Amino acid sequence: MIQSYLAQGSTYAGDIDFLFDMIFWIVGVWFLISSGVFFWLVFKFRVSGNEGTAQYITGEEKSQKRWITIPHLLVLVCDVFIIWGAVRVWYDIKQHLPEPDREVRVITQQWAWTFVHPGQDGNFDTADDIHTVNELRLEKDAVYHYHLTSNDVMHDFSVPVFRLKQDAIPGRVITGWFTPTLLGEFDIQCAEICGIGHGLMPARLVVESAADHAAWMTEQSPVKFAAVAPQVGEN
Amino acid sequence: MTRQFSIIRVSRGVLLACVAWVALFAASQASANDMARGKQLYALCAQCHTENGMGAQLYLAPAIAGLDEWYVNAQLLNFRSGIRGTNWQDVGGLRMHPMSRWLKSDEDVSAVAAYVSAMPKVDPPAVVEGGDPVTGKALYATCASCHGPEGQGMKTMNAPPLVHMSDWYLVSSLEKFKAGIRGWNPQNTNAVMMRGMSNLLPNEQAIKDVVAYITTLNVQEQP
Repeated sequence: MIQSYLAQGSTYAGDIDFLFDMIFWIVGVWFLISSGVFFWLVFKFRVSGNEGTAQYITGEEKSQKRWITIPHLLVLVCDVFIIWGAVRVWYDIKQHLPEPDREVRVITQQWAWTFVHPGQDGNFDTADDIHTVNELRLEKDAVYHYHLTSNDVMHDFSVPVFRLKQDAIPGRVITGWFTPTLLGEFDIQCAEICGIGHGLMPARLVVESAADHAAWMTEQSPVKFAAVAPQVGEN
Repeated sequence: MTRQFSIIRVSRGVLLACVAWVALFAASQASANDMARGKQLYALCAQCHTENGMGAQLYLAPAIAGLDEWYVNAQLLNFRSGIRGTNWQDVGGLRMHPMSRWLKSDEDVSAVAAYVSAMPKVDPPAVVEGGDPVTGKALYATCASCHGPEGQGMKTMNAPPLVHMSDWYLVSSLEKFKAGIRGWNPQNTNAVMMRGMSNLLPNEQAIKDVVAYITTLNVQEQP
């Protein structure tokens, strides 16, 4: 359902959408049932004219209590499905870290994004690191580890097309992962109110083919290398 | 005939005077509108640069009150286009770059620049310690060729005024120029030139000395 409005651009975007859809339908169906029962009861037991007044009931009789207990048990059964889906997605995205093909640092501040690629030597904090501001270029189908930090206040690294949202907390380096699966240009936004310029700090995500990405890396590198196979560094 | 000529001449004179008056009125009205627009837009700038343009070091916002209009205009356009404030190490610039984009048109930029330049100048408190103004005076001789002997700036040299400026901002700017954090973009030709000039100051102490001297110019300029 969500993918009709926003493309799925990462390997786990489908899992997030499935979870959203499942919760939407479960909650939606219960909303319709409970609203229907409510209005049906109001209509059926309506009192008009001199027929009497409304009665207060204590809800102690079995026939009355079952209106609560049966839906309650059914909701608990639905909860099992929601918890199963949520734990599975949480584990896959937040706790499980697949082996990376590449790494990228994401540094956020009021009100800009800096992205650092380790360059062709695969190690950060070396002369060939590539820094970009407000533009993140990634290789399609490569497993990335991102290392997210904040220079000042709390921010949130949100990439809607990946279905990724991760808070950035000053003083902490938060590592996560994604695998882009869709070529093109997409939005990056801050999803945590971070000051007066919060709404003015969008960035662009460019997902490109391996060949294009390698060419871009070579072009951007402050140190010129002979073509070498990309390596995964030690962070 | 003579009377007719004189009536026509007088009428022409009156007509010209009316046209001139209307033009002047329209110009003054446009200027007043610009100032009103500038004041309205400045409300956002005031969040960091403060209401009176004194600036606030906490927000890395320098004093801007009374800065030359041409300079404010040029810098806002530089920030907006990204030729200034997009270096990943320029923390203050990275804040100003998105904020400048709040100004949607060149007219808005001009209106803010006009309003800022019309603000009464301020003397921000000195916070930089350890500078020697006597040594700084000798070092300033080079700066004076573009920024003027009194630090008043020279438009013909594209050199902004340095007096009434936050001392911490002057230090920070010189350090950024020396490190190539400012003046790295070849499109920003004035900053590229300043990057070269900043290298004439050999070290951190020289920067503090020259800024200490500039601060004394603030005092001299006061009535």
